[in-house]
Amino acid sequence: MDENKQDGLGFAAEYDRPIPYMQRIRDYYVTLGYGTPYRWANYADVPFTKPTKPLSESRVALITTAAPYQPDKGDQGPGAAYNAGAKFYTVYSGDTAAEHDLRISHIGYDRLHTTAEDSNTWFPLPALRRAAAKGRIGEIAPRFHGAPTNRSHVTTLDVDCPELLARCRADNVDAAILVPS
Amino acid sequence: MSLAARHLEANGIPTVIMACAKDIVEFAGVPRFLFSDFPLGNSCGKPKDVASQDLTLELALGLLESATGPRTTMQSPLRWKDDASWKLDFSNIEKMSPEEIARRRAEFDRQKAIAKGIRESGAKAAD
Repeated sequence: MDENKQDGLGFAAEYDRPIPYMQRIRDYYVTLGYGTPYRWANYADVPFTKPTKPLSESRVALITTAAPYQPDKGDQGPGAAYNAGAKFYTVYSGDTAAEHDLRISHIGYDRLHTTAEDSNTWFPLPALRRAAAKGRIGEIAPRFHGAPTNRSHVTTLDVDCPELLARCRADNVDAAILVPS
Repeated sequence: MSLAARHLEANGIPTVIMACAKDIVEFAGVPRFLFSDFPLGNSCGKPKDVASQDLTLELALGLLESATGPRTTMQSPLRWKDDASWKLDFSNIEKMSPEEIARRRAEFDRQKAIAKGIRESGAKAAD
């Protein structure tokens, strides 16, 4: 029961706000005994590029942190425990015209409140196809790309980011949708 | 993933991120961000709910079109549940017993060793 509503102000519950993940995770690892806190990336300046053509004429790329299912790498869900064995460490690409079985067992998703039973919640290729079919976007880029997780920031910046850019450029994309899980 | 969005954007490709971890994405600083206040793993809508997945994508596409500057965040109007108490659970050390903390510590060490093994065998293969 939302106590604040009883006050007649119509406020949401105090905890009904975006989860403070950085604080939660920091406290979690400090309590587990890993004292050096993870350093999340942060920047003061943020780049911005205005689209040069309408979405209905744009080629849109999809970038994901999900991993192709690997039958020999243990339980990858739905509902699988965290599985570091399913991780990948280099950028990969897949044909957007084909079907794909991508999983997120290698990612710290919320295993208490969701089960990773529907890949559409992290890999929106089917939704993107529907958007393309009705002309909302011009077309889907020929390839989607997988971005590795659990990398040092240096590797992400020096290796993975340039690789993703090169692949997007090779495909002449006009915009990109990025989905971390 | 925020770093990738920034890199593409800085090199002339407009981007939008769809994600559930608002503080982490905004801390990094990204051009456009469609935030769904859902459990991690549901960046693109609710499971088995095509309408919510289509709406979520549409909101992200709308951001690509309409954002006028960087750090544009939009929050999806969708609610995971009416009761928001699920937000109290994720990695919340205050809700864990000492036994649970010990169990998680052992599991963390185990997974870290597995990841290290993969990285090292990958490095050897690349040599």
